[in-house]
Amino acid sequence: MGLFKTLAVFLRIKKKEVNVLVIGLNNSGKSTIINHFKDEEDKQSEIVPTVGFNVEKFQNQSLSFTAFDMSGHGRYRDLWEHYYKDCHGIVFVIDSSDKLRLVVVKDELDLLLQHPDICNRKIPILFFANKMDCKESLSSVKIAAGLGLDKIMDKPWNISASNALTGDGLNEGVEWLTQQIRDTIVNRN
Amino acid sequence: MSSFKRDKKEEEDGGGNPFQNIEKTTVLQEARIFNENIINAKKCTHILTKILYLLNQGEQLGAKEATEVFFAMTKLFQSKDVILRRMVYLGIKELSSIADDVIIVTSSLTKDMTGKEDLYRAAAIRALCSITDVTMLQTIERYMKQAIVDKNPAVSSAALVSSLHMSKIASDVIKRWVNEAQEAVNSDNIMVQYHALGVLYHIRKSDRLAVTKLVAKLTRMSLKSHYAICMLIRIASKLLEEEETSNDSALFSFIESCLRHKSEMVIYEAAHAIVNSRRTTSRELGPAISVLQLFCGSPKPTLRFAAVRTLNQVAINHPAAVTACNLDLENLITDSNRSIATLAITTLLKTGAESSVDRLMKQIATFVSEISDEFKVVVVQAIRALALKFPRKHSVLMNFLSAMLRDEGGLEYKASIADTIITIIEDNADAKETGLAHLCEFIEDCEHTSLAVRILHLLGKEGPRTKQPSRYIRFIYNRVILENPTVRAAAVSAMAQFGALCPDLSENIQVLLARCQMDTDDEVRDRATYYSSILRQQDKSLYNNYILEPLQVSIPSLERCLKDYIQSKSDEAFNIKSVPVVAAPTEEEKQISNQKTEGMLISTGPPRPVVSREENYTEKLSAIPGIQQLGPLFKSSEIVELTESETEYVVCCIKHCFTRHLVLQFDCINTLNDQLLENVRIQLDPSEGYQIVKDIPCQKLPYNEMGTVYIILQFPDDLPNTVGTFGAVMKFVVKDCDPNTGLPDTDEGYDDEYMLEDLEVVLGDQIQRVTKMNWAASWDESANGFVEMEDTYSLSSMNTLEEAVKNIIQFLGLQPAERTDKVPEGKTTHTLLLAGLFRGGHDILVRSKLALADGVTMQLTVRSTDADIAELITSAVG
Repeated sequence: MGLFKTLAVFLRIKKKEVNVLVIGLNNSGKSTIINHFKDEEDKQSEIVPTVGFNVEKFQNQSLSFTAFDMSGHGRYRDLWEHYYKDCHGIVFVIDSSDKLRLVVVKDELDLLLQHPDICNRKIPILFFANKMDCKESLSSVKIAAGLGLDKIMDKPWNISASNALTGDGLNEGVEWLTQQIRDTIVNRN
Repeated sequence: MSSFKRDKKEEEDGGGNPFQNIEKTTVLQEARIFNENIINAKKCTHILTKILYLLNQGEQLGAKEATEVFFAMTKLFQSKDVILRRMVYLGIKELSSIADDVIIVTSSLTKDMTGKEDLYRAAAIRALCSITDVTMLQTIERYMKQAIVDKNPAVSSAALVSSLHMSKIASDVIKRWVNEAQEAVNSDNIMVQYHALGVLYHIRKSDRLAVTKLVAKLTRMSLKSHYAICMLIRIASKLLEEEETSNDSALFSFIESCLRHKSEMVIYEAAHAIVNSRRTTSRELGPAISVLQLFCGSPKPTLRFAAVRTLNQVAINHPAAVTACNLDLENLITDSNRSIATLAITTLLKTGAESSVDRLMKQIATFVSEISDEFKVVVVQAIRALALKFPRKHSVLMNFLSAMLRDEGGLEYKASIADTIITIIEDNADAKETGLAHLCEFIEDCEHTSLAVRILHLLGKEGPRTKQPSRYIRFIYNRVILENPTVRAAAVSAMAQFGALCPDLSENIQVLLARCQMDTDDEVRDRATYYSSILRQQDKSLYNNYILEPLQVSIPSLERCLKDYIQSKSDEAFNIKSVPVVAAPTEEEKQISNQKTEGMLISTGPPRPVVSREENYTEKLSAIPGIQQLGPLFKSSEIVELTESETEYVVCCIKHCFTRHLVLQFDCINTLNDQLLENVRIQLDPSEGYQIVKDIPCQKLPYNEMGTVYIILQFPDDLPNTVGTFGAVMKFVVKDCDPNTGLPDTDEGYDDEYMLEDLEVVLGDQIQRVTKMNWAASWDESANGFVEMEDTYSLSSMNTLEEAVKNIIQFLGLQPAERTDKVPEGKTTHTLLLAGLFRGGHDILVRSKLALADGVTMQLTVRSTDADIAELITSAVG
């Protein structure tokens, strides 16, 4: 957090409101990640499968985030596209211990990248290789290779290994996303 | 600047609807603002209001538009504005049935309903339940159960009401919430208790025993909520209606005790329940009536209205009990609330004596122009009842009705007046001339085509039989000159009736019809040509068949037959005899349809199109192999029960009569939940001469489902043998099964049989009722060409003429003509005229002369085109 503060002071920009879309397969830890960023009193002790979506707000020192936490259940994945248009960044959460469904993740990712609302925009995508504490988990490099992330040329992306229960790796990822979004906004202005 | 000025001007207009000029496309365009990053709560609320306004004005959104708006709306969940959020809930509820993928908001709503903000919780529950389907209900079940027992009454009520709504789609899930609902009944909050009772009753309503227990428990508990008590009274009175035992039960004493409750609402509900109960005797009625009487003097108009309205209803069944309130009702006649006054007067008319009729009619006349059509209809119905009760007063009533007829009014009101006049005319021969004169005057200036057509038809039917038929011709012909084509066509038909029935007018009519042949409308010209060419023949029998008697086949069947005929492309001419005849409605059916609306303030919807019993069955039967080739269905009998209604297996039979075949339809129900019946057959022991052509068994008969067995028989060639008694046994294979799943325990079953009561095939099964407008003409005409049989019987078991008439009609299955089924009072002789059609299209005319003296003596004359049929009928009576 300290770094954010310095950055904000350094750049002297106003706190901007931005929308981010949190997607990924079910049981990958999207709601848990969002829960981590919430204020202490709003935190939920128990995370249940999301049906549809949830809107959560959290802030860091330079940006105010509105996160659309989408349901990852197969039945609701078609609904993600309704929210593509107006988001400034995408957080894609992957369960790195679930090797079996990595191909499903790839399918969903390809669909996302080919969507007309996404493919022509330079929209930053942050990948969380979540559940890194699990024994069986793949490293972020392996996941990046497995998903063919190196082929994404027109969008800034970053992958960071994380543990949503403890919060490890989450801040680093969001830090990168903040930087990217701020850059696009600055550039537009 | 200019726009500012305009805005100002609009404001000054004031009072106008700010949403008057909004348009769907513009609003949908505006709704895109929902997608912006930073939500402007005020603006969004305003746009949502516009959307809701449009939807409630009946504007239709397509699925695509709705989905787009819906998803834009979901983005508003990021705003923390309370008003906006609540508007979003409303929007979700409105769009939930049109938009796709509405379940997307499930989690967001669940969060709100369990959250801290109380203003969100109740509304979120209602919205959540509107988007939830059966599959999703599981996910939210836990939250719903919590919400039902929530401390906050609004939340609890919302959850209860929503569960009630959802029981329509998932009653078995809701049933699991019974414990929570039970707890909510004990709530201190008035609404929660009421809603909880509603849910509890709904969960248990199919289980009589459980409902009885529920009521018994709650009646002892003395509920706090008045609404809940009212509901309990309704449940209790429903139980009472179904119960077999007498009124001395605990339920009734509970309702009676509610008459002494301190809330007026509860008292009224209890009184209402008592007076509307079918089995209430006058002794029990007493306290309820006196409560209502008290209400009549209440300063609150609602109470007065409720009391008078209820008394008005009771007056039909228990006029004597209401007489006690006559004094109070007299006071209400001058009530400033016209609705109350109308009901008071009509109630008095129902209960009053003949002497007070004049005074009351005068009273009504003073304000009849001030009340709405709905109430005028009530007045008219009361007058109709009065006219039937006091035939001697017809002149006063008729004058009053004709004055009402001349006033302004809607179709329903005018139609009810015309109906009343027509009933009076039919019932009372003295009133006929004046009534017809009034109606003639009315059609001179009648804006309702349908009514004018009906009256013209009536004039055609009744006019020729009056003393001076010629006076009506002018009125009818005026219609030909002045009216629209539909009325002109009806007028032409009416004139033709005069031409056919009054020989001295025939020539004049022909001149008029010749003029009508120049009409601009096809239908009018066709009718005029048709009638004038028939009249030119001067042949009585032609008159009879083609002018006086209406078409007797059922119109839907005729349509179907003609369609088949066109498709079959056969060279033969179309045979109208092959079309099933429509059965004339029996007297009871007519009475039932009349009674329901009599004097009640209930507007019934448009009458359902009448489809005959045969029409209904034809469709069902034509799907059965082997039945279609039997030809058109001639007649279907009433349902005959072959078992007691509460036995292991319930079997009913319907006899379908075809030209040469009889099809027996056995509807079987298995009431044992631990048995599965297979290969169900009916073994029939037909009487002599009958041949079983085919029987179609029912393969499977699970618990509580209806299965049908058909047997096709051929009628014996000898007509007298067609009447007989068949023994019947139901045979089947039983398999024991699990009551819960309905699956059989083993594949092995055992044969079993069940005795059924004997089935009787009677004469009436083979005869269709036919209405003859002009029975006498048909009778004269039938003197040659028909076979006549005559016999005399003594019906010693009958004591009155009415009884004899009723039994004869029922036994022969023929339709009485010329209203001879009503026996004038005080006569000792009567002639009953009957008509019908035997299967195969043979006409039957029957004249039965009855005389009363130590039992009834009857001379029966039967004429038919077929000698055997005439003999069959005469022999069957003996």
